[in-house]
Amino acid sequence: MTNVNPAQRGWWARLRRPSAKHSVLALAAGGFVAGIIFWGGFNTGMEATNTLEFCVSCHEMRDTVYQEYQYTIHYSNRTGVRAICSDCHVPKDWTHKLIRKIKASGEVWGKLTGSIDTKEKFEARRLTLAQHEWERMKARDSIECRNCHSFDAMSPELQKKTPYKKHMEAKAAGKSCIDCHQGIAHKLPKGYKKPGTEDEEE
Amino acid sequence: MKQSSRILAAASVAVFAAAASPAALALDVEAAKDLAQQNNCKQCHALRKDKDGPSFLKTAEKYRGKANAVDEIVKHLTSGKKVKLADGSEENHKIVKTMPPNDLAQIKNLAEYVLSIQPK
Repeated sequence: MTNVNPAQRGWWARLRRPSAKHSVLALAAGGFVAGIIFWGGFNTGMEATNTLEFCVSCHEMRDTVYQEYQYTIHYSNRTGVRAICSDCHVPKDWTHKLIRKIKASGEVWGKLTGSIDTKEKFEARRLTLAQHEWERMKARDSIECRNCHSFDAMSPELQKKTPYKKHMEAKAAGKSCIDCHQGIAHKLPKGYKKPGTEDEEE
Repeated sequence: MKQSSRILAAASVAVFAAAASPAALALDVEAAKDLAQQNNCKQCHALRKDKDGPSFLKTAEKYRGKANAVDEIVKHLTSGKKVKLADGSEENHKIVKTMPPNDLAQIKNLAEYVLSIQPK
């Protein structure tokens, strides 16, 4: 049996070798600091992808939905509260946020293949893309809307009668926001009929 | 020969003028339908059936033939005036929003569309 010089061993063997130089405390402290740096860096990077600037850094979003969003109440309103893309499209809790981010990496593939790189291509796919998002919101019980809006906070005195009546009916029926509210911050896809707006004569 | 050329030229000018007149350019049905859809008009109105609000046909018959028909409907769509619903309750009519905001041409087009609805 021959003794192999540790310096000549593979990197994995070297990593597994107990430290002869450093105390357990020093190793634990080093690991702790490295953990903080890694965790902080990871979350800072993930939060950077939640900013409005990041979302509209690609022309696919900047030239289409972003233009429409700027005319909606979620962008500009009496009270000065703004909901940006991630407020509606990215979950707040860490686990679901991470899952959403991993799924969103598919959009990078879309970018590389140019699936919506012109306005015409985007309009052709708008209904499909919108339906995917509506399904996601429905599956999450419109939690991103409900981070700010709630049936219980709706005032019968301050809300118009018809919407209030419909909201209370929706609450009783166990519906969530996205069941009725689509095209809130963007245009509805051409030809799409929202529930309750169908007209068989059209 | 000269006379026929003149007639042809006059006819061309007349056709061009007719095509360029506001009446001929006014109605873009698809744009009007899209604006109605974006504003959820059909939540309370249908083409020929009353819902919470009167049908487009009923509105058309109310205003058709009046000199200020388009302006009256535009006023209705932009002022948020009080309206009576089918159940007798009253509330302010939704103000129609356009992209870009306050684009009167789009709202006039919608008014023209409503006025164009005919009975079956």
